[in-house]
Amino acid sequence: MAIKDRARDIIGKEVDGVLAFRPEGGSHVPHLFNADDIDQMAGEYPAGERYPVSSIVRRLQAARPGVRLAVVVRGCDERALIELEKQGQVDMEHLVLLGLACDGELAGTCGCAQPYPSEVVQGEKVEGGLDLGMVEKLEGLPPGERLDYWLSRFAACVKCFGCRNVCPLCYCKECALDEPGLVDHGEQPPLLPVFHLIRAVDMAGRCVDCGLCEEACPIGIPLRTLYRKVGEVVESHFEYRPGRSPDKKSPLSVLGTEEDVT
Amino acid sequence: MSRKPENNNGKDEVKILAFLCNWCSYAGADLAGVSRLQYPPNVVDIRVMCSGTISPYHVLKAFQMGIDGVLIAGCHIGDCHYIKGNYMTYKRFQVIRDVLEFIGIGEDRLRLEWVSAAEGEKFAEVIREFTGQVEQAGASPLRTRWEENPANRERIRKAFKPLLP
Repeated sequence: MAIKDRARDIIGKEVDGVLAFRPEGGSHVPHLFNADDIDQMAGEYPAGERYPVSSIVRRLQAARPGVRLAVVVRGCDERALIELEKQGQVDMEHLVLLGLACDGELAGTCGCAQPYPSEVVQGEKVEGGLDLGMVEKLEGLPPGERLDYWLSRFAACVKCFGCRNVCPLCYCKECALDEPGLVDHGEQPPLLPVFHLIRAVDMAGRCVDCGLCEEACPIGIPLRTLYRKVGEVVESHFEYRPGRSPDKKSPLSVLGTEEDVT
Repeated sequence: MSRKPENNNGKDEVKILAFLCNWCSYAGADLAGVSRLQYPPNVVDIRVMCSGTISPYHVLKAFQMGIDGVLIAGCHIGDCHYIKGNYMTYKRFQVIRDVLEFIGIGEDRLRLEWVSAAEGEKFAEVIREFTGQVEQAGASPLRTRWEENPANRERIRKAFKPLLP
């Protein structure tokens, strides 16, 4: 069954609104549909058009607590929602997930570990595999060259804050990147590498590897490589994979027990 | 303005920042002092109430400002004044160390040690060892870079002005 048919079935009954996409000007934009305009919903989801839908859900639920929503999710969106729920930011009880599997092409270029949600409504499941090629390549370099690589990439930063603003897991009201004691205001590029490393350490135990940051970056800083390494570090020390370990909370969000640290 | 580094066989002295927890490690450092134990004078310490309050940002900022090595010292696991504060220290330390290594700053510039209030001798030994380790690694590559580029250096001085002498 296609997502559109499923959405038509449940709108007005199980859910009050469907967060999906509406065709506009040759592309698709996120739109909250109700029973009246559900027919305008897009049926196809081009690979190049991804949005941080989990952030939109978070905002909608904050504005209208208890609202029953259905949302079209890819694998990464579902992981982000799971992680946000653990941190008390979204309410999965009142949420219906309409799963969309990424096609083979997107899954290949994107390189995430699981390019499909747990329950697929539309699309064919393609098995993914976490692409750590770039991470391993950098690890093979001597430290000095690694630093050269990162500083030269970071130096192009225009400090647009796109990576933070698009990130589904960046929901803090006060951000360290706005803190003048850490990042000097009105200077560009920002102080390197502290600006990018602040985000890197914050992504520990959070980053669901959706890759929206790298897509949003106008300069093409390989942020995903950096955050994938951080994800690998967290997995190797704490056996925790954000969005994919549903029973466990992020080790960096709880104090834990003595067994965790011995 | 910056103090002239003392002559150390022609090499610049390394600068080390130590975050010490109020209840154990700072008391340990105090004991090392009153026991007149000898250890290298390259360390500047910052006393914090608990090692668990040390944010990764503080460590990153220290490196950005040109510090060559950062030592984090807290109570032994199980002895934390706040019961579980140092669990968080340990977890954060593992992440920051590996990120520093991946970026190319080097994991040997960051160290975590548990030093109790009674371990003055251990504190002195840790400082001796860690200073040797950082000297081996040399000046931080970030510091070398901004020392090569005076404009960059000025920018860092300006950004962190309230904190510099």
